[in-house]
Amino acid sequence: MGKTDYYDEYEIQVHLEPWSELESLFIPIPSKYVEEIYRSEDFLVLVGPQHPGSGHMRLIVRLHGDIIKEVIPDPGYVHRGMEKLAENRTYIQNIPLVERPAIMDAPNYNLGYVRAIEDALEIDVPERAKYLRTILAELGRIGTHLYDAAILAIFLGHSTGFMYPFAIRELICEAFVRMTGARVTTSFIIPGGVRKDVPENVLKFVYDATFEIERRLKPFERIFIHNPTVFARLRNVGTLSKEDAIRYGLVGPFLRASGVEYDVRKVEPYEVYDRLDWDIVVADECDSYYRFLVRVNEVSQSLKIIRQCIKDIPEGRVISEQISENGKEIRGELFDKLANVVLPKGEYTTLTEAARGSLIYTLVSDGESNLPYRLRIVTPGWLYLRGFMESLKGGRLADLQAIYGSFGYFPPEADR
Amino acid sequence: MEDRFIKFLHSGKLAPIKKWGTYWSLWPVHLVTACCGVELAHTFAAGYDGERIGALNYGIARQTNLIIVEGAITRKMAKILRVTWEQMPDPKFVIVMGACGLKGGLFWNGYNLVKPSDVVPVDFYIPGCPPTPEALLRGIRQLQDKIKSGEAKTSVEFTEKDLGVGKPIKIVPKPKKVSKTATIVVDVPRKVDERTKEIAKKIEDSIKNIKVIAVSKNRVAVNVEKEKMKEVAASLKSLGFDHVKNVNVIDVINEQKFIVEYHLGSYSTKDLMPIILNLYTSISRDDPKLKSLSDIFPSADYMEREMHEFFGVFFEGNPHMGSRFLLAPDSPEFPLRKDFKLEEEVYLR
Repeated sequence: MGKTDYYDEYEIQVHLEPWSELESLFIPIPSKYVEEIYRSEDFLVLVGPQHPGSGHMRLIVRLHGDIIKEVIPDPGYVHRGMEKLAENRTYIQNIPLVERPAIMDAPNYNLGYVRAIEDALEIDVPERAKYLRTILAELGRIGTHLYDAAILAIFLGHSTGFMYPFAIRELICEAFVRMTGARVTTSFIIPGGVRKDVPENVLKFVYDATFEIERRLKPFERIFIHNPTVFARLRNVGTLSKEDAIRYGLVGPFLRASGVEYDVRKVEPYEVYDRLDWDIVVADECDSYYRFLVRVNEVSQSLKIIRQCIKDIPEGRVISEQISENGKEIRGELFDKLANVVLPKGEYTTLTEAARGSLIYTLVSDGESNLPYRLRIVTPGWLYLRGFMESLKGGRLADLQAIYGSFGYFPPEADR
Repeated sequence: MEDRFIKFLHSGKLAPIKKWGTYWSLWPVHLVTACCGVELAHTFAAGYDGERIGALNYGIARQTNLIIVEGAITRKMAKILRVTWEQMPDPKFVIVMGACGLKGGLFWNGYNLVKPSDVVPVDFYIPGCPPTPEALLRGIRQLQDKIKSGEAKTSVEFTEKDLGVGKPIKIVPKPKKVSKTATIVVDVPRKVDERTKEIAKKIEDSIKNIKVIAVSKNRVAVNVEKEKMKEVAASLKSLGFDHVKNVNVIDVINEQKFIVEYHLGSYSTKDLMPIILNLYTSISRDDPKLKSLSDIFPSADYMEREMHEFFGVFFEGNPHMGSRFLLAPDSPEFPLRKDFKLEEEVYLR
């Protein structure tokens, strides 16, 4: 039997009717594109939406061999419509809402929103509250970096690397419980300060916890960070040059891993960051391993910040005099004091360095309603999605998980 | 044939062994639908070790028998939940975690949400926002009890108390004040420091025919006509503004216009790093068309697409106009316009 006969006999007749099938799969690409790939030598691979990551999204990957030529993202699986909901709730009702994009990083999300309100009403926050907010924000940052490290480990098939950061995260959760009363969704920061004062023994616990975190990071370093397999999977994978990082508007640690020295905490300091001694972590290597390493080093910077804050924290009120006479606790009068807040007419934009990068809140007020006229939330995940897609190009399909993990992409955060 | 086989499985001699096997191997599929996934991860990590009761997350639906729905199910996700559920072999169970899965929770009146119970049959609900890992483990234990005894039981039973002590419940007015005649000005000047003024002056001098308003510390605003938007954006780029931080649309329904804003920032010029420049323009609400800036700033691309589906603003030149990006095909059209109303809550006392 000749070779051609073999093919004739076993030729599979595939009827090309992409449109009807595509519609049932919700694939947001034109049928022409699918046809074009079908006729060329390329493959179309759909990654997700159900995949072992944290949160769901679909990546439509165009492959040539196993080299990625193009990636089309299909986000929105966790789009809960926060911006619309925020327009229908009063300013304080929105405080728990705005932290839901990334609950492990709740303090940073609260902080950005609350600072927009304080900016509008010109509220001076007491010193002690500023320190407490900084401690909370940094705890959130450590927690998120550890979470991302764990998810990266899962993506690389390294279960032990998943267990270690989560064991450390338990300490962060415990610190949150003792400080605010909740494990993850803290909602502790209110316009004019924080909800209640944190006693001395709790601050002592947080101080001790920072050393315990450092101690527990050592074995993690040996097992995961310096592991040769991890190094081989991540080094020189998903590189994104400095120019590309700027062009595609990357944020946070991923921007710094591409050699841009930009940190909102240094560039436009808020709370007490300008008084503390800490450094921006920057790397010039631009690849997945350094995106991860920058965040590992940020954890130690954050621990340093927390220790300084606890040492320097002054005594005094934690709620501004403009909000309440009782400077120690808002319980019982939160609604009376803050439900009828009306912001003056205008637009208020705050930049916050959340764990994964710049977080932007734009609050627009008409000057008469006690609801925001428009609240625009731009989360870091949404901002670096474009850069993430670009960094996948030219890599191998097997590297997709590694690059995904190295960005710590969290769809609930990106989709809002 | 098939029926006899299933009958044998359920009540044959080996049925107790099968039941025992299911009891200790409830493997939930990875379906982290929303933020409750954080606590789910804790449940199966070192701190709580869900594996000791035989449950561990697994990647593929084909080899699992349990879905833990973690929080909000959006319209787009609902289909995926159903497909995943259908892919699982029998017996299949569903545990819904979090308040969003129960009645919507914090997002109860959101335009993009569905209840998991409308999509798949649910065995257990775990309330909380988010529930603690202990609560989730308890949910899995309850499911094990259900497999053993055949009936689903609530883990906690509360005694009912009459809350209204003699008083009938009355509906009180909402604490909301909504202005009917709202107008929006986005560049109301506030306290400005010298440095921002200087930079605003510098930008004004470098580009012809524009007025730069220093709004507050590190915030400047530039209002241009919609035809000149692209030209000004290009010259701002040559000044050092190299990326877009935010694309925002404000629907001013009382003036029948959209305000389209681009917040520009700079990573490459040290002086401009803290500055956010708000380049904005007004377009008519009836014919919301505007030239896209995504060819000048690639970082604006996704946000333009997002604003297109939220408001129906058409960014000419962006190749993805007319298609949906974040929203599902059955989501309402242009949900962020002011004339799209959400269900209002009722306050009781």
